[in-house]
Amino acid sequence: MIIRNTPHRWGAVAQLLHWTIVVLIIVQVTLASLAEDLPPLKKLAMLARHKSVGITILGLAILRLAWRWLNATPALPETLKPYQRVLARGTHALMYLVLFAMPLSGWMMSSARGFAVSWFGFFQLPDLVPKNRALYEALLTTHETLAVVLGVLVTVHAGAALGHHFMLKDNVLRRMLPFTATTQGTER
Amino acid sequence: MTQAMSPRAMTPGARALPAAWVATAAAVCLAAGATGAAAQAPSPVTHYVLDQAKSTLEFTFMQAGAQNKGKFTRFPVSFDFSPGNLGDSRLEVTVEIGSLDTGDKDRDDTLRGADLFAVTKFPQAHFSASQFNRTAAGYEAIGKLTIRGVTHDARVPFAFRTADEQGVAVGYMSGKTSVRRLDFGVGQGDWKATDQVGNEVGVTFALRLTSAAH
Repeated sequence: MIIRNTPHRWGAVAQLLHWTIVVLIIVQVTLASLAEDLPPLKKLAMLARHKSVGITILGLAILRLAWRWLNATPALPETLKPYQRVLARGTHALMYLVLFAMPLSGWMMSSARGFAVSWFGFFQLPDLVPKNRALYEALLTTHETLAVVLGVLVTVHAGAALGHHFMLKDNVLRRMLPFTATTQGTER
Repeated sequence: MTQAMSPRAMTPGARALPAAWVATAAAVCLAAGATGAAAQAPSPVTHYVLDQAKSTLEFTFMQAGAQNKGKFTRFPVSFDFSPGNLGDSRLEVTVEIGSLDTGDKDRDDTLRGADLFAVTKFPQAHFSASQFNRTAAGYEAIGKLTIRGVTHDARVPFAFRTADEQGVAVGYMSGKTSVRRLDFGVGQGDWKATDQVGNEVGVTFALRLTSAAH
């Protein structure tokens, strides 16, 4: 297992960041749905966890983007048609965008509602916007819409990865998986 | 009083006065002494009431690891005060709990509910002080604080300054203190836990008080 990316494979750091974020996003969806119908105090505790995990994702997303800039990005398979390249790049770019927009809109939402955000009780984050009910409502809609958008993007992304693996039988999925051999240099 | 006045009564001028005048003067002295106007000539207390529009009463609380803020918007104050007559000074604050505002209606309703402030049963909180001390930073009011029907002794430090604004004596009173909500039963059932909502609640006030016309 190599730490850094190569032109053919994602390194350990990129893989760790990718899969950690995947797990945390599943945690986020779970926490948000569990919080829905809870009585006030339990809802508060559940959403506090949701916010802490969200801020964690934001931190990891920053690390991930920085790591991406500092590393080679494994090339797209040469077999891709131009429109598929555009689609792949577009989906990835949008997913990065949403990865930042989700936690930021959630954080702003909390500020607008007057529920300051803390990271697991260790430290408090500053309010991004002043208390404002109308702004809160707008941000809530944004946050929820982004969740749906992310759901669609993830479906396309995972569907494409599985399609590459099982139908095109290339390296695209394997190069993001730990402990799997990739046929180096042959992006079939 | 008597001591202060007696030398004057023995001045040559006084001796020249008719006996009746001396008797009257003595009676006035006694009357004045009886009403408590001490020899040090204590300044009369000024009666102030709250200028609600220009006053704030805020509270801060830890919620899920983060400090959050709220305020009360109706809290009538009656303050009889003179820095030179702390003995006759009195402070009465009535906080209309229903006026609380944390910027979120759901949270406000929860706070007003039976497990927290129980506003329908205990619509007001009171602070009543009749003992005042001078401190390095200003003053300290010592009295009784009642919240949710529970009364405890409380000491509230404050700074006080006066200003003359278009002929009206105005007082500015400010300070901060803290209250442990569970001492007053603000938090029943699940709300007794302090991991999500802290016990310590900070209270900050900045009041503009106007002297009421007598």
